[in-house]
Order: sequence, then C-alpha cells, then structure tokens
Amino acid sequence: MGVGGAVHRAKTPSNGKIGRASAPYLLILPSILFAFWIIGYPIYDMANMSVHAVNRFGKTAAFNDFANYQRLFSHQLFIGCLIRTLVWTVFVVGGTVLLSVPIALILNEKFFGRTLARIIIMLPWAVSLTMTGIVWRWSLNGQFGMVNATLANFGLQDTPVEWLATSTTAFPILIAIGILVSIPFTVTVILGGLSSLQADVFEAAKIDGASGWQRFRYLTLPLIRPFLNIVLVLNFIYVFNSFPLIWVMTQGDPANSTDILVTWLYKLAFRYGELGIASALSIVMFLILLALTIVYAALAMRNERSTA
Amino acid sequence: MENPVRKSLLMWLFLSPLVIVILFPFAVMVSTAVKPRVEVLMYPPRWFPSEIRLQNFVDMWQATRLGPAVMNSLLVSIAATVLCLLVAIPAAYAASRMEFTGRKLFRQFLLVTQMLSPIVLVLGIFRLMAKMGFVDQLPALVLAYVAFNLAFSVWMLQAYFQTIPKELEEAAKLDGASTLQRLRLIFLPLAAPAIGITAVFIFIYCWNEFVLAMTLLRSPEKSTLTLQTFSLVGGRYQVEWDHVMAATLVASVPVAVIFALLQRSLVSGLTVGAVK
Repeated sequence: MGVGGAVHRAKTPSNGKIGRASAPYLLILPSILFAFWIIGYPIYDMANMSVHAVNRFGKTAAFNDFANYQRLFSHQLFIGCLIRTLVWTVFVVGGTVLLSVPIALILNEKFFGRTLARIIIMLPWAVSLTMTGIVWRWSLNGQFGMVNATLANFGLQDTPVEWLATSTTAFPILIAIGILVSIPFTVTVILGGLSSLQADVFEAAKIDGASGWQRFRYLTLPLIRPFLNIVLVLNFIYVFNSFPLIWVMTQGDPANSTDILVTWLYKLAFRYGELGIASALSIVMFLILLALTIVYAALAMRNERSTA
Repeated sequence: MENPVRKSLLMWLFLSPLVIVILFPFAVMVSTAVKPRVEVLMYPPRWFPSEIRLQNFVDMWQATRLGPAVMNSLLVSIAATVLCLLVAIPAAYAASRMEFTGRKLFRQFLLVTQMLSPIVLVLGIFRLMAKMGFVDQLPALVLAYVAFNLAFSVWMLQAYFQTIPKELEEAAKLDGASTLQRLRLIFLPLAAPAIGITAVFIFIYCWNEFVLAMTLLRSPEKSTLTLQTFSLVGGRYQVEWDHVMAATLVASVPVAVIFALLQRSLVSGLTVGAVK
C-alpha cells in the first residue's frame, strides 16, 4: 500500500507540484477579493472624492487643490470634535485598563462564585451598544429615570439632574458608560495573560519575602506587559471609532458638546450633505487608524514570535 | 491562614460596585418592561410596579412590529455567518497549514483590515451599495457584515487550525486518503469547535450591528432588530418607554444567555485569536 502510494505520487510530480503551488492562492483569493470589493473600493472612492469638488448628491467635478481638507481643518467644529475625541479615547481607554487590571487579578483568584462573577462581568459585552445606550438613556432621564431615584433614595441627591441634557454632565457620563462596556474585553485579555503565568515563580518570590505589592509590581506587571500593550492599542482603536453609544444617548447634543469625530462625520455625510468634507474626514481618520494598526501589527507579530 | 469564606466575601465586596453598575440597566429594563403605563411616567419613579404586566410584551410585539425585525435580523445574521465562514475557512486553512510566498503579507493584510471600522468607511460603502442598486436591500447588509468579519474570522480560525496536529492528516495521506477525504474526515471534525465559536462571534456582531443597518436600510419593514428598537427612541417626542424596554429585553436576553452559556469557550477562543 505504502509503496504503491509512493510510486503513484512519484509518477505525477509536475501535476502535483503545480496544484500544490497554486492551491494556497486559490484558497485565500475569495477573502482578498471580498476585502477589495467591500472595503478597498470605498476607501479608493472616498479618497478620490476628497480631492475633488463634489455636490450634495455625490457627483464629483474638477480636482480642487485639497480645498475639502482646508474646509475640514478650518471648520469651526473640527478642533472641538478632535479634542473631544482625544479626551474621550484617552479617558475611556485609560479608565478601562486601570479598572480592568485589578478586576482581572480578582477574577484570577479562586473564590466561591467566581464563575458567576466572571459571567456577570462579561455581560455588557453580549448586549449591543445600541441597547445599552437606549437603556442608560432611559435610566438617566431627569424626571423618571432610576439613577436619580436611586441617588435620592440614598440621600445622595437633593434635586434631580438632567444628566444627558446638561453639557457639564453629559460627556463624563458617556465616558463612564464607555468604560463600563470596554471592561469585559479588556479583562478577558488580561485574564488570558494572568493564566499563562507560572505559580512557582510567585511562590519563590513569596518565600524570598516579596510583599504582595512587590510581587505585582516586579513580577506580574512586567509579565503581562505584552497583553496590556495589546489591549491598549485595540481599545484605542475601538473607542476612537465608537459610534452607537453617543449616537443613541445624545446624538452629540447638547449643542455639539458630546460630538466626537465619528458622530460629526455621520452628520456631515448623511445629514448636512457635506460630502467633500465628510470624505476628507474619513480619509484623515483612516490614516490615523492605519498608523495605530501598524503599531498593533508590530506588537502582535512580536508576541507571536515570543510565544511561538 | 486564608479563610476561603472570608476571602470570597472580600472578593465579592471588591467587585460589588462594578456588579451593581452592570446589573443596574438589566434591573431597569425588567422593571420598566412590566410596569403599567401610568406608572412608567410617575414621579418619583419606583422599582416595583403595583402589578406585573406581562401583557406589555404582547402589546409591544404588535405595536412596534418587532416580529418582522427579528426575522430580518435572523436572516441577515445567519446568511452573513454562513457566507463569512465559507470564505474564511479556506483562507484560514491556507494561512495556517500551507507554505507560500506572501503568507506573511496576507497575515498583515488581515491585521490591517481587522482594524477598519464601518463608521470610517460608511460613506464609501453607502455609495458602493447605491452604485450596485443594493440600498434598502438586506443583501447589502449581508455583504458588508461579511467584509467586516472576514479578517477577524480568518485570524481566529487560523490560530486554532495551528493547534490541530498536522501528523493526523499526514498519516491519513500515507494510508491513501485523498485531499478531500482528509479534509472531510479528519480536519473538519477536529476544527468544528473552532468554527462553531467563530460562528457565534460573527452572529453576535451581525445581530448587534447598528451603523451599517441605519445607513443602508431605508424602509421600516426592512429594519433589523437594533434599528427597529432605536427607531422607537430616536427622533420622537413621546417615547413609550415600557414598550422600548420590553423590546430591548427581547433583543438582549437571547444573546446574553448564549454568551453566558458559552462564556468559557468564547473567552478562551478569543484569547487564542486575539493575542496569538
């Protein structure tokens, strides 16, 4: 049998080789075509639109010397949205990671009900951001919302607050909810990192008299560093792009005080018909994302090498 | 020295603020969804209604046309999941088990496309679909969902496929099994759990997606579940919150239950896919 097989294979070397050489390309071809069709073409189309004069129905005319970009950068709302996007991203990502590390450490311990605790903490991940936004919008309603009612019950509040209609509270509230929905994914990745640590190293450090804090600072933290890097970059990308929460809860109101680049982009494109500015903004954001992605790819590849 | 009961209490105490904030919206959903309408808009609001009105769900189902929306969501999500897997599995197989020039480039290409989010491209995608005459058609949504899940799926599947030992297939090859037989009898059964987990992730993504649905769909009878629920809130003076909360419950609970049941394998799947 074995010999026969070998002979049979030896008889058709050229056929087999050609088949084998082209097979991987045939297998990956559909995925590449798909990506070029649905993702590549729109990028090309928007890049093209962004350097041409374009009317509100999307008809492009002459090349216009990057006038769309000039109008974007000099738009009165641009700087505000850009700063808010940075504040939003830095606070949500920073808050998420700061909270997720201790939570992951707790969930990595053995205690009664740990499985239940893990399930509860993963819960916000399963619910769509749209639904989360809708429920919080109702909960934060100034008159009938349960947030005010609960705060009043515990004597923490005298007069009801219109959380989402007040410009000083709306954005911080959005940031807090942004953190809440980013925790599950972040905790998951950090837990993955923690579970890869070897217990004997920690035992040894304990015997040598290292305190809990010392063990965390000089052992745990450096060892989960690669995982922290990855959640930082991935969260940065996700949060930078986060649209549904803000759209559902405030739509950028009151008076654009909660608009970030993505919500403003949507309004420019589909509400104000400013297709030139919108396509320029899309390309700018695409380039920012591309830069972030290259950082991520470098980190991921480095991890892969060290674990392979 | 370490008392397990005391330790457990301490752990739960530390987690309690977060647990409360996470469960709070679920409590609000349930509380509002079963309230009689007059009590929904009563000041001050109370957690417990005078009666538990399950009739709200029936009324909501008819008044909000949630049934067709659920059907649309199911249709789109299943179609996108199947199509995405059909395209992703061969690519993942090649990326994980075959040596070819450009393999590294392909993997980098995957990483980059994985990062692109619909919102940044939504204007271009809308124009593409308009050009193809697909606006307000459910297939437009299916195509877009497949495109945005492909990179993730290929990436996750190939990470899994790498853990399946090649030796089994090589042994079968020596025994004279054809490529197709090897795939069908050896590889696919071993890969089935990975494919299942990837399918769940794609499905949940499609089920929950919002931006593309809002942009590409126009007529109410084509709405998906998220879009239909949002339309009960967005741009209305009078929001019927009891119906809205009942709808969000119906939309969220099935996915949350699937997620909770499969939590362990989903999480381990993701750490294989995301970190490796």
